[in-house]
Amino acid sequence: MTNKQIKKPIWQKPWHFTETILIVVGIYLVGMVLQLSVGTFKFSNLAWPLNIIIGGSGIVLILLLSLRKQSSFFQWLSGVPFSVTLIAALIIQTIIMGITPQLAGALTHKPTVFDTLGFTRMTSSWPFILIYFFTILALTAAILNRLRIPKWRDYAFYLNHIGLLIFLFASGFGASDMKRYVMYVEENAEMPEWRVYSENKDVLELPIAISLKDFIMEEYAPKLTIIGRESGKSIPEKDPAYFQLADKKTDIEIEGWTIKVDSFIMDAVRNSDKSYREIHMPGSCPAALVTVQEKATGKKISGWVCCGNYAQLYMPLMISDKYSLVMTRPEAKRFASDIEVVAASGEKVSTTLEVNKPLKMGNWTIYQYGYDNDAGKASNYSSFELVYDPWLNAVYFGIILCALGSLCLFWIGNKKRKERNND
Amino acid sequence: MISWDHFNWFAGVTLGCWTVSFVNILLNKKILWAQVFTAIGFISYGLFIALLWINLERPPMRTMGETRLWYSFFLVLVGYITYAKWQYKWMLSYSLFVAMIFVIVNILKPEIHSKNLMPALQSIWFVPHVTAYILSYAILGAATIVGLKQLYQYDENDKLIDFTDNLVYIGFGLLMLGMLMGAVWAKAAWGHYWSWDPKETWAFVTAAAYLFYIHIRWNNHYRKTALWMLVIAFICLMITWKGVNYLPSAKNSVHVYGQQ
Repeated sequence: MTNKQIKKPIWQKPWHFTETILIVVGIYLVGMVLQLSVGTFKFSNLAWPLNIIIGGSGIVLILLLSLRKQSSFFQWLSGVPFSVTLIAALIIQTIIMGITPQLAGALTHKPTVFDTLGFTRMTSSWPFILIYFFTILALTAAILNRLRIPKWRDYAFYLNHIGLLIFLFASGFGASDMKRYVMYVEENAEMPEWRVYSENKDVLELPIAISLKDFIMEEYAPKLTIIGRESGKSIPEKDPAYFQLADKKTDIEIEGWTIKVDSFIMDAVRNSDKSYREIHMPGSCPAALVTVQEKATGKKISGWVCCGNYAQLYMPLMISDKYSLVMTRPEAKRFASDIEVVAASGEKVSTTLEVNKPLKMGNWTIYQYGYDNDAGKASNYSSFELVYDPWLNAVYFGIILCALGSLCLFWIGNKKRKERNND
Repeated sequence: MISWDHFNWFAGVTLGCWTVSFVNILLNKKILWAQVFTAIGFISYGLFIALLWINLERPPMRTMGETRLWYSFFLVLVGYITYAKWQYKWMLSYSLFVAMIFVIVNILKPEIHSKNLMPALQSIWFVPHVTAYILSYAILGAATIVGLKQLYQYDENDKLIDFTDNLVYIGFGLLMLGMLMGAVWAKAAWGHYWSWDPKETWAFVTAAAYLFYIHIRWNNHYRKTALWMLVIAFICLMITWKGVNYLPSAKNSVHVYGQQ
């Protein structure tokens, strides 16, 4: 085979890349005209059942086209030039999207050229939506074309393409039906909470109520670091050094200072003098007794450092005119909420919700979202994200098909193409 | 206990061995010793990763420095398997060379951080997601090397381009698996399987670029366009992996870890 195509006048069928590129540029320009005249595409306008009607009609239209025998238009629609050009269009748009900071929520500044062209909300811009829609059509056509003479040996093609079609359809058209809310629930409140905040901070009431029995939090031991007293930044500034407490028992050296930890208490409370003792109670806070020696002079300074919290003061150790040794706030290791969920249907579920372990109830999924960051362990509320997505099972089905198809790629390689070329 | 403080010892052994095998491949026809030294360097490197894993009490896959460890590890593995199967000596030497660059980067700029793992990263998907991606990056890196060789010395013969196709298919399969596992994980951790976070956007660009390659290669036409796309795809891959952290669009990315 050679790279040369037989010369033919443009627009004479079968269409190749020249015609295809012109058509895809045309689709893009139509999208741009819509973008400039109508403005950003609103997904909420495409909510059920309009999404299934429009998406479904597209697929039915392709199905009808596929029934016509030897339609060169259908051949083109299902062919390589169209798919490759659509992929290229998606690449260009997503590259723009990858460089331009994307906006969420309402526009708060005067629209710039990028805003008007839809670059700052790429997935809601008309050109992107149109290219997405034609990708769905091309994908459907490619699958139907191959299904005319179904062959078992095409299993990888079917898994990958049908999986991708289901995934793209359910995630794209399904986006119109998706809802995300945040609920803040106080610990041991008298009444379960059912008010939530939408992404635009509107307050709504949901058919799901949650009560919080307990908020649980575990923290990692904090770190020690030396900061410039004026800059407040850890040194060395280029690559700050942190000393994880309870990590190593050895001394550590930062920029000419040797730091030795004499004792470390995770739950500490300050005594009347400047020392600390171990007490497990709300408001206790990590503290450490350290000795810092300046290597050049041999000068030693000893004292307590504490990272502080809402109940206790932050305590640095001044080691020179310029520098202080400080303790960082501990990072969260695990946070979880012991909750009871009641649905309008009367269904009741008690569970412990934590990050990576959401609760699924029908089309709703409930997530551990956040807590009072300043109070940390002592937070008296927990927040949850409630996500409604009736298309989720379809999305998962598409993901499973694609995953199986990807596994097939390992042994299929380019064998298929060669078989085809030899046909 | 083994920590990053001991990295230079293990990496030194690895670099020494791999340099010997690299030179050996360039100078000799028979490369038995090169294979032995590749293996010793590989074992030293693998041992460090294993001991670091045990010491950190979590998989060393979170920070840049940690993922670079795996990249060198897998790249040499892929290079060796390729050599063993197809007898491409140059493939082994190139992958040794690139792997050594990453070892040296880790010695000069380790980008290592604490052992703390934030709650969102504590998931059964963590290890398979990152492993699939890094292994895929290594294979696609190898595909790029083969692609560049063809752009440099154009070859009408189908043998090398078929080999490139094979590497891309396998690399892309792993890339997709990594992405799909990431989607399932994201659903559990952040509430949505795809949020167009900058890292996700660039992962999409990367996957689409390889998809372009696979589709345009379907009829064995447009070989040069495909090979150039392979180079562009790999640049996108590098942006996804490393470059994203420096883009203005990524200042709120949820995928930027290990910077405190």
